[in-house]
Amino acid sequence: MIEVKNLTKRYGQNLALDRVSFKIEEGTIVGFLGPNGAGKSTTMNIITGYLSATSGEVTVSGKNTLEEPNEVKKQIGYLPEQPPLYMDMTVKEYLNFMYDLKKTKLPREEHIKEICRLVKIENVYNRLIGNLSKGYKQRVGIAQALIGNPPVLILDEPTVGLDPKQIIEIRTLIKNLGRNHTVILSSHILPEVQAVCERILVINNGRIVADGATDTLAHDLSPDHRLILRAEGPEKEMVHALQNVPGVVDTYSLGEKEKGVYEISVESTPDNDIRRDVFALMARKGWPMVALRNTDLTLEDLFLQLTSSDAAQLPQQKAAGLDPDQDLEFDSDLAPEKDEETEKGEEE
Amino acid sequence: MKAIFKREVRSYFSSPVGYVCVAALTALYGFYYYKAMLMSSSSYISAVFSTMFSFSMMIIPIITMRSMTDDQKNKTDQALLTAPVGVTSIVLGKFFACWCVYFIATTLGGILPAIAMSFFSNPAWGEIIGTYIGALLYGAAMISIGVFISSLTVSQIIAAIGTFIISVLLMYIDSLASAISNQVISKIVQWLSFNDRYSTFTQGMFSISSVLFFVSVAAVFVFLTARKVESRRWS
Repeated sequence: MIEVKNLTKRYGQNLALDRVSFKIEEGTIVGFLGPNGAGKSTTMNIITGYLSATSGEVTVSGKNTLEEPNEVKKQIGYLPEQPPLYMDMTVKEYLNFMYDLKKTKLPREEHIKEICRLVKIENVYNRLIGNLSKGYKQRVGIAQALIGNPPVLILDEPTVGLDPKQIIEIRTLIKNLGRNHTVILSSHILPEVQAVCERILVINNGRIVADGATDTLAHDLSPDHRLILRAEGPEKEMVHALQNVPGVVDTYSLGEKEKGVYEISVESTPDNDIRRDVFALMARKGWPMVALRNTDLTLEDLFLQLTSSDAAQLPQQKAAGLDPDQDLEFDSDLAPEKDEETEKGEEE
Repeated sequence: MKAIFKREVRSYFSSPVGYVCVAALTALYGFYYYKAMLMSSSSYISAVFSTMFSFSMMIIPIITMRSMTDDQKNKTDQALLTAPVGVTSIVLGKFFACWCVYFIATTLGGILPAIAMSFFSNPAWGEIIGTYIGALLYGAAMISIGVFISSLTVSQIIAAIGTFIISVLLMYIDSLASAISNQVISKIVQWLSFNDRYSTFTQGMFSISSVLFFVSVAAVFVFLTARKVESRRWS
């Protein structure tokens, strides 16, 4: 659906994006994660055609943003970081304006009413946008992106400025939209990304440092794979028995946590899921397990680890499957050709 | 283009800007009619019209100063530039909106007094219509320059002052031409004069070359504005 290849963007000397590549399948909700100034908004602005890349290309549904800009723009609904609202218009006038601007063919009245119902702005429909609260402005911004029912939605921090109840509503809305839209949203609120997105792209300093499914990303990138279990039984025997489970590397006791209940740390090799074996063993021996948890990084840990610049090197290659040498070669081969294309695009 | 044109015109008249511009021009024209014709009992209407553009010159920068600056400042350009419309039609929409405000002002201020007068005397309609068309064309060229200047800056004040300076320069460029001894340069400078082209209209003459001149100036600056907006994407 969306394919981004070797996207590079320079602002003068400042390298904002450095050979960013990714592919997004139809009907997925992807979260862009990254600290401020990482390149999230720049990437989004390039995909939507607001900015152009220094080199690299973007295709949406097989259409190149430089060759057929209007075709691409028709397919994208965009909510920028600051909603592009005219303060001197009412919500009604504004949405009608956007309807005309996007050359929408859908039945006007019904379509606009439907969107207002979705984002819950019916009660401010006739009010001036300048007089609305931040939350309502944000919603009008989302409404604007939905006009024309574009298959791709790009939302830059869609829940900023909303109260907790509205945040939940908008998240539900985005999730529902994700059923028949491709959605890219950026955020630095981790639980939000976790709650809404199926896939996460972590950007730092203009590079993609991690890319993976929301549920498994943290597990895959954890440096060690450890289970912490609590069980009732003899301390030494339990440690010894667990040591012999296939795939286990190291076992040690963390001491007695409740009366007769010991906490034991079990470290395994990365590709072995030992939870079932551990359970079976403890059941067989008659040592009741009262708790079992893994010490995978939380998304928060992961985020901090990936975005603190020096720690990012190792998981980056592991996650994105990049071979840095190959990457460089690829770039130098393609760079001149790309530049020509970009120029062509401008002339058009 | 139509959507942007409609929005812009509406925005001029949902704020005081549009009304103030129209009212100011109408009042100035009316006053000048009164002074030049009624007070001196003259039927020399060309005198009125030839002064028209020096009034317009003061109003045009006010009309154009916000045309491109506002969008950039309020980030609404993100909506425009990510919509499936070309940059040129965005600029054209804005250009025509400015011109529409100017058109309303010129029509009210320039034609109404003439109509009022036609009840009592027989004004020279040829000159009036000629000057009116001339003023509209002159305005179109000036407005496109104003729109272009407003695309160069995010400050409305700078845009207004810049446009004002350029229009004053263009007004006095003829006198500059006569001061230049080199024939060729003098000719070129003379050729650039807006005033010169405009004055043929005030004599009731419809000159195709002047029409073409004003239309081309407008087209060139609309084109340059579009390039300027486009170039922001590459910075």
